[in-house]
Amino acid sequence: MKRLLTLISLMALAASAFAQPFVWPDSWSNATPGEAVRGGELRISLIGDPRTFNPVTSAESQALSDYLFTNGAAVLIIRGPDSDEWLPYGASSFTASEDGMTVDVTVRDGMKWSDGSPITAQDYYLRYVLETDPDIGSNGYDSWFMGDDQITVEKVGDNGLRFHFPRPDRLAFPVVAVAPVPDAVFGAAYRSGGAEAVKALWGTDVDVASTIWSNAFVPTVFQPGERIILQRNPYFGEWNVDSAGNALPYLDTYSMTIAGDLDSALNLYLAGDIDQFSPRNLDDIGVINNAVNNGDIDVTVMESVSPVASSQFIVWNWNKASDPDKQALFRNANFRRAMAHVMDRDAIIDLVYNGAGLPMYTNVYPINDYWVNHDVEKYPYDPEKASELMASIGYDRKNADGLLINAEGKTASFILATNAGNTAREQIAAIFGDAAREIGVDVQVQAIDFNLLVDQLLSEGEDRPFDAILIGLTGGSRDWPFGVNVIPCATNLHMYNTSDACITAQETLMGQLFNVGRETLDTEAARDIGYEIQATEADLMPILYAVSPMAHYSWSASLHGYHNEGQINPLLGAYELPLVFMAR
Amino acid sequence: MFVYIIKRLFQLIPTFIGATMLMFLISQLVPGDFFKAKELEPNVRPETIQRMRAEFGLDKPVYVQYVNWMKNLAVGNLGQSFVSNQPVWQRIARPMRNSMYLAILSIILLWLVSIPAGVYSAVRQYSFGDQAVSVISYLGLATPNFFLAQVIILALFLTRTLTKDWFGFNQLIFPVAGMTSSNYLSMSPWNQFWDVMWHMFIPSLVVATSGMAGFTRVLRAQMIEYLGSDFIRTARAKGVGHTKVTYKHALRPAIIPFVAGIGNLLPALVGGAGLVEVVMSWPGITPTFLTALQSQDIYVVLGLLVITTLLLMAGNLISDLLLAAVDPRIRYN
Repeated sequence: MKRLLTLISLMALAASAFAQPFVWPDSWSNATPGEAVRGGELRISLIGDPRTFNPVTSAESQALSDYLFTNGAAVLIIRGPDSDEWLPYGASSFTASEDGMTVDVTVRDGMKWSDGSPITAQDYYLRYVLETDPDIGSNGYDSWFMGDDQITVEKVGDNGLRFHFPRPDRLAFPVVAVAPVPDAVFGAAYRSGGAEAVKALWGTDVDVASTIWSNAFVPTVFQPGERIILQRNPYFGEWNVDSAGNALPYLDTYSMTIAGDLDSALNLYLAGDIDQFSPRNLDDIGVINNAVNNGDIDVTVMESVSPVASSQFIVWNWNKASDPDKQALFRNANFRRAMAHVMDRDAIIDLVYNGAGLPMYTNVYPINDYWVNHDVEKYPYDPEKASELMASIGYDRKNADGLLINAEGKTASFILATNAGNTAREQIAAIFGDAAREIGVDVQVQAIDFNLLVDQLLSEGEDRPFDAILIGLTGGSRDWPFGVNVIPCATNLHMYNTSDACITAQETLMGQLFNVGRETLDTEAARDIGYEIQATEADLMPILYAVSPMAHYSWSASLHGYHNEGQINPLLGAYELPLVFMAR
Repeated sequence: MFVYIIKRLFQLIPTFIGATMLMFLISQLVPGDFFKAKELEPNVRPETIQRMRAEFGLDKPVYVQYVNWMKNLAVGNLGQSFVSNQPVWQRIARPMRNSMYLAILSIILLWLVSIPAGVYSAVRQYSFGDQAVSVISYLGLATPNFFLAQVIILALFLTRTLTKDWFGFNQLIFPVAGMTSSNYLSMSPWNQFWDVMWHMFIPSLVVATSGMAGFTRVLRAQMIEYLGSDFIRTARAKGVGHTKVTYKHALRPAIIPFVAGIGNLLPALVGGAGLVEVVMSWPGITPTFLTALQSQDIYVVLGLLVITTLLLMAGNLISDLLLAAVDPRIRYN
């Protein structure tokens, strides 16, 4: 027996010797391992309390949930800020089949949960099992589907997983980048009590010190409404090292003060109570710079670093059976092109965003520059050209009120709705409306409740209750930045036409290109298809894109180890948490 | 008295049911629901959103939703928060407690300042001090709390700049946000108490200022009325000292309306200190309420309204009973 135990011990030792740690590349940080200072605390702010600590049922996206459940967890594969290439992280290796239908993953040896127990393939497999159970209602449920076809996972041997895709998919790798869920807790609950037992786990009333995580920092204290304190995971450094072989993370503590709103967060930042703040606009930057100039705080300010991952656009309603004149107008491409020529993006950038914005001409956000087709027809601000286009569709004279009329004496008139309270959108609508009225198109701007606006936008059928809406979408993918619910006809965010069929040939073409592009695994070839989608859309001009505001960053001058220049933006983030440190 | 209380309690039942119906109806008039924003997420399928709605019963007719909610209410269950998927009571208990701390301190500050100020104004009518109290009171009444809080925050930052330049002291004398310091948990219980008090002082002061004007002016008027009455003249004629006449003979009857109003403070205790809590990031009930309203976490909103309604009704009853206790002219049959 003693011999057997010795043998098992030796085998375990040998196995751990073979377990290779993940080496965090130097290129992911602007500091070298030699400069790093061990210890210290990074303090940030949260806007509200976390809604849950349950990684399966969480549906929110904020600093804590993003860190705990996805970005900071031991996901199977990972991408750094310097490249779009996927690297094995929670996996020791992975291979994709030639046809792109399967991805084989070998789970890394030597990984541990924060209680010291091993992270296994079962912990990853469990994530798939739980997220695909509709009774649990996980926010990740839809990511396991391509249309109506489900992506499946099977266990292969002790530490292997095989992902099966119904067809080749550019979005396959983000699906493979799953985080583990502790089987000892969630698996046990699922096996004994089903979906309800899983949903009941780790609510905000849980003793967070009893929860286990794969992250560099794990929550140890949660004071609702006040703060969350995360301490270094003692086992993380066993399989995460810097290029010099030092265990990561460098910091001891990562804490989050619950500020309630961004004004309070700014106050906390000015008071020196937190180390990082993302200024919303140039006004915030002015306040911070003032405090810096007074010598009150010592911080770095990075102004207009990159565009944000969101859009602002106007969409016209093509389904207006109750008003055939308006429907015909909105369906006329030359009308929409004329409207594009009165979108004064420079004025919007100057007046609404104080110069901190970029013009936007396609459905791909400027932050995803690799995918943006810069050669699409832009329809620059040109009221004369707009007037010519309006004349070409019959609106070639003006009435006594200075409004364009056609041969039947009908004016070109529509209501542009946006959501009340969003001052940027209200201002954009006003600027656009003024410019359109200059050429004789009557635009009545209405600010209405957000939910009412969304109801109108997402209404379906041949007769929908709006003329035009100014709204925005957020998100964005580095792999295929086209929305599955946006581009193809008969999807719920195909906003200009929600009848069940495409109306124009361009819509049909874009839907086909979307499907082909998503299934094209070669990135350059996919980008070419993406370019074609954008060019087709620019020709059809169903959606008039306005501008993308810029993102700003600021943090304590003591904070080091953040991303290199050009690698800081809302998609890539500002730093890799294990690599940052506070200089003393 | 006992019969009166029982009678009043029974009268409260239809009032309460009427109030809940009104609340529920108004909550349903708001367009959309909690899951509306999800519909704008490009990668969420419509059937998923339908499933979520069904899980929370939002796909059922309004009257069914109301009946289900009332059934839960009858057994003390305020419902489930959509946002945190936890019982509403769990979601609101802690913010209520935090708001209560703020309310208690602000009431103490209000009474500590207003009673002497009101008495002084009455005794020294039309003096410079009386005028000064009036001006300050009206300023307090006219300045919205959220604005005053912002002005004080700005003043705190300016004070820091001055103390840094003059004394090399680069710290804020009072915190501008939050309820505790970051090292709160490592403090002794006594220091924890003082830490909360330190954070609470400015928001409490701001909340107290809005009540001071009314309190001081009403007390002044009451005092002037009593100081001119026959029994005070008699007391003075019998040689009772000025202080005793003012504080024992005049102040005691003058303060009766305020004592009787204590019951009405009940809903105020948990109702939150308003936007001051938002501006100063106090983890009280107002930010919770506003967040729930914005996200249409409807059962949290209704839960808060139900509790406030109950306390308002209980407070009214207590006020009536207190009035009888302090004013011998009032008797209940």
